[in-house]
Amino acid sequence: MSASIAMAESSRSGAHALLDGAQTAWDMLSEEQMQKPITTGCEELDTILGGGIQCKAVTEIGGIPGIGKTQLGIQLAVNVQIPVQYGGLGGKAVYIDTEGSFMVERAHQIIEGCIADLFEKFEHRKQSLVCPYILQPNSFLANIFYFRVCSYTEQIAAVNYLEKFLEEHKDIIVVDSITFHFRRDFDDLAMRTRVLGGMSSKLMRFTKKHNLAVVLLNQVTTKFVDGSFQLTLALGDSWSHACTNRIILYWNGNERHAYIDKSPSLRSASAPFQVTSKGIRNVTSNCKRVRMM
Amino acid sequence: MGSVILWIPFIITSGIENCSRQPPWFNGLELLEDAKQNKHVLPSGCEGIDILLEGGFRIGQLTEIVGPSSSGKTQMCLRSALGVADMNLGSVFFLDTCNSFSSNRIASMINQHTATSVEEDGETRVKRIMSRILCQSVYDIFELLDILRQLENRLSYQEKSNGNSIRLLIIDSIATLVAPILGSKNSQGRMLTISTGILLKRIANDYNLSVLVTNQMVGGQRGHLKPALGESWKSIPHVQLLLSRDKGSTICGISILKHTTIGSGRTGKFVIHN
Repeated sequence: MSASIAMAESSRSGAHALLDGAQTAWDMLSEEQMQKPITTGCEELDTILGGGIQCKAVTEIGGIPGIGKTQLGIQLAVNVQIPVQYGGLGGKAVYIDTEGSFMVERAHQIIEGCIADLFEKFEHRKQSLVCPYILQPNSFLANIFYFRVCSYTEQIAAVNYLEKFLEEHKDIIVVDSITFHFRRDFDDLAMRTRVLGGMSSKLMRFTKKHNLAVVLLNQVTTKFVDGSFQLTLALGDSWSHACTNRIILYWNGNERHAYIDKSPSLRSASAPFQVTSKGIRNVTSNCKRVRMM
Repeated sequence: MGSVILWIPFIITSGIENCSRQPPWFNGLELLEDAKQNKHVLPSGCEGIDILLEGGFRIGQLTEIVGPSSSGKTQMCLRSALGVADMNLGSVFFLDTCNSFSSNRIASMINQHTATSVEEDGETRVKRIMSRILCQSVYDIFELLDILRQLENRLSYQEKSNGNSIRLLIIDSIATLVAPILGSKNSQGRMLTISTGILLKRIANDYNLSVLVTNQMVGGQRGHLKPALGESWKSIPHVQLLLSRDKGSTICGISILKHTTIGSGRTGKFVIHN
């Protein structure tokens, strides 16, 4: 009897006393507003993304081969490590490579380009800068933890093992690409859907629990819709719900563009970007405004 | 032997008395009374949808929103949460399975709509509304069942007409929880899905709240999309709504696939503002 009275009193004090783990939207708002996004290196792309890639969300980036997905993945793994004094997160990156497209020399080049740009931007504050020796390419490379997986079982095992690995502080997981091993060798499509569903649930849980960003790079395939072949992202309709945000990279004439396909809080827009020797940057030839769809 | 025979009528009458103390059935008049007092309609936050549904989402019913990816399901859920919290109808409990709950988005939606009363300024309005929306992340069907049982326990101790009591329960989306277990040869996945559906309907009916669930679409025959979770789930929701949106447009089409009082096939449109 006394237990029920005690419970009634605690529940009368407010709806938020109802369940452990529930937060009001007001508390989440202040947390979300303090969250720093990860810059992509291209200012226009950052603008349409609301500052950059959001932490606590799973972002899927898809595009045809050669459009720059791996470049964007490496750029994000580098940009997450920008120290806090320079406006970044000062974090570490986990890079899960399924295709073997991660080139250390290219990562080194992108890091050098990033450091050069940082020094240029913060030149006037050079005296007050702390420890410039932190900004060495080797220290950046040391903070990218690289996993190479060669089959889908290894991929599932890597995601399961990440749980323990993430107990030390990490800020971004890039999986390049998530679909490669699942597109062949699977006869039982129902099992593929189940396995992918389980993997995406685990990744969603990681983002929430460890407050990090997950970036999944995806390939495209053709689909026969309404009498014509159209390009869609691989793995089908069931996978299309497994991400929080989706960005599609495409060619528009001679320029690379990024389009926000799915997002609960950003509007649909597209922005151009360029892949230079320094990494992903703004398009510099002429000033193009962001086109709103 | 004789004393045992004397006990039998006592057992039977006490059994009948037990039944009359907790009647397992209601007559039609009692049901009507209950419907009039408790089973109101919650506005969906958008006039077009309210007109289509003749009021909105009914308390005591499980409404399912189905649609392909990026068709506006989460936006509709956020908008209904906002509507219920704004009009002081009660609290909203949002169970988020795919990290799609965005409090920034709710705040910008609140700021877009003009304040209902002049005395309240923007900041207090945002705080009042958002304090009534609770969000919890769920990534597992077993976690969901646990949360629902805890919810049922707490609700049974709460006063019935408390202003803070939960009126709207949103699960976005249930398909991500069920996808890892459904489809194998054994029927445990279907069993868990249907148990969850029945539990949701019971909570909706007994504790006077409305349940909103979003579902995905999967490929069916000849390339047509059909709602996920299979044939056995189809009979569980009271109301099924289908959303569609053309790529790049802000106008979403909504059509009724199944409803308890309205004929299916009726359609409407609503706009997602930025």
